[in-house]
Amino acid sequence: MSAEVLKYTREEVEAFEVVPGFKHEQLEGSIPELASDDEIRAALESAFDYRGDVTITTKSGEVIEAYIFNRSTGATLTESWVQYFTPKATDKRKLSYAEVARLEFTGKDRAAGKHWEDWVKAYNERKAAGEKGIALVPDKLD
Amino acid sequence: MAIPISQVFTVATYVWKQKLKGNKRYPLVLMLEPLFRCNLACAGCGKVQYPPHILKKQLSPEECFAAVEESGVPMVSIPGGEPLLHPQIVEIVNGLIARKKYIYLCTNALELKRRLPEFTPSKYLTFSVHLDGQREHHDFSVCREGGWDIAVEGIKEAVKRGFRVTPNSTFFDGVDPNSVRAYFDEVMAMGVEGIVLSPGYSYDKAPDQSHFMGRAKVRRLFRAILSNRKKSWKFNMSPLFLEFLMGDRQYECTPWGSPSYSIFGWQKPCYLLQDGYTETYKELIETTKWEEYGVASGNPKCANCMVSCGYEPTAVIDGFLSWRGFWGMVKGNFSSYKDAHAQKVLNDFRPEGHVPLVQIKSGDRVMEETNA
Repeated sequence: MSAEVLKYTREEVEAFEVVPGFKHEQLEGSIPELASDDEIRAALESAFDYRGDVTITTKSGEVIEAYIFNRSTGATLTESWVQYFTPKATDKRKLSYAEVARLEFTGKDRAAGKHWEDWVKAYNERKAAGEKGIALVPDKLD
Repeated sequence: MAIPISQVFTVATYVWKQKLKGNKRYPLVLMLEPLFRCNLACAGCGKVQYPPHILKKQLSPEECFAAVEESGVPMVSIPGGEPLLHPQIVEIVNGLIARKKYIYLCTNALELKRRLPEFTPSKYLTFSVHLDGQREHHDFSVCREGGWDIAVEGIKEAVKRGFRVTPNSTFFDGVDPNSVRAYFDEVMAMGVEGIVLSPGYSYDKAPDQSHFMGRAKVRRLFRAILSNRKKSWKFNMSPLFLEFLMGDRQYECTPWGSPSYSIFGWQKPCYLLQDGYTETYKELIETTKWEEYGVASGNPKCANCMVSCGYEPTAVIDGFLSWRGFWGMVKGNFSSYKDAHAQKVLNDFRPEGHVPLVQIKSGDRVMEETNA
């Protein structure tokens, strides 16, 4: 976050007609390199932003399927951690960056394909086909 | 004024108590998100895009009460997700009423009419119904044809049963200001207490990232919408916040004014940005780097934000703690905000094409900013 601070001046902000928005990386299925501390930090920051589950393999060999919802970055990897929920446990859990050996974006990206343009396109196609009661429905939970 | 005197008095007293205690950062409204599950699938929504195991989780009533007591807020907004999908929502609401908290239960109203018999009308309980404009605009906005009719049926039944009801609208780029004003007429005729509105905001985690107005455009749009008000229109909001949207006031964000609590914990720094979580409210206040947020910080994530959860607390505090703000609030409740230029903008505005959309951007539509 700190790197982004002071990116815009007050005058720029007040004059915006349309805001640029933020681009999301296509991460689903990817396996980031974790060779250096910087790569580990960047990968776990991406995992924090990701709207799907990831699979973490720890240095002790444990494999954790997790939705990472929080992170705290310290001076060292040992002082940095992610916080997550797993599909089966009810409690929040923490894992130090230093314990992460492998990370894979295994879960479906829940934000993918849900852009406004996707809806407009689908709506116009379904309308043209004569469909009534057009609606998007939430994903099934089971 | 649409807001009941007892609520105004409660909030004013609370704000003064905080001042007398010397508290610099205090919350006004807790954004309590008991679950993220929803029965709509609005395109671009930044609130409900989670894996199923997260969507199945929910706060218990006890966790909700603990969060409310920990923060000490006088008002609680319950968004989500769709709160009426929470199996213990009635228990949560009743528990908050027992604690004399003013509650805004935010709902898309798909389940409202069916669930109303489970609730008891109270001055503490308001159903804040998501309604993004007139029928076709709302239906397109929530990606469900027929959604408006169901929501309106719920609104009418709630009003009939004596509940406080405030339609809650978010307006995005490309909105037709004349349609919004016609929508105000329609909802006021339904007998609602007052209207709640806000400009859209580009959640950095939202799938949709290209249809959010910048601040200049927001001011032009809301100046056109909110000038030359009809006497029948009531707003369940601070008049100073509405003046801020119209470009008549400069305010800074008060991100701690509407803290957010969910299954993840206390959200840093505000209801809209997800920059991490803390376990306690105290930790949220003490460890968040507040100077890194808000327009004054230059943070791009805050660049287009003029949203009520950040700026209405500023307006409310200004209204109760400064003579100038208080006088502005009094005047605002009786003014129709006559503005010939804004009227001309309305008269000259021509909706584009046949596409019945509210949210779609339309670069050709030009409204001249008059007072920003």
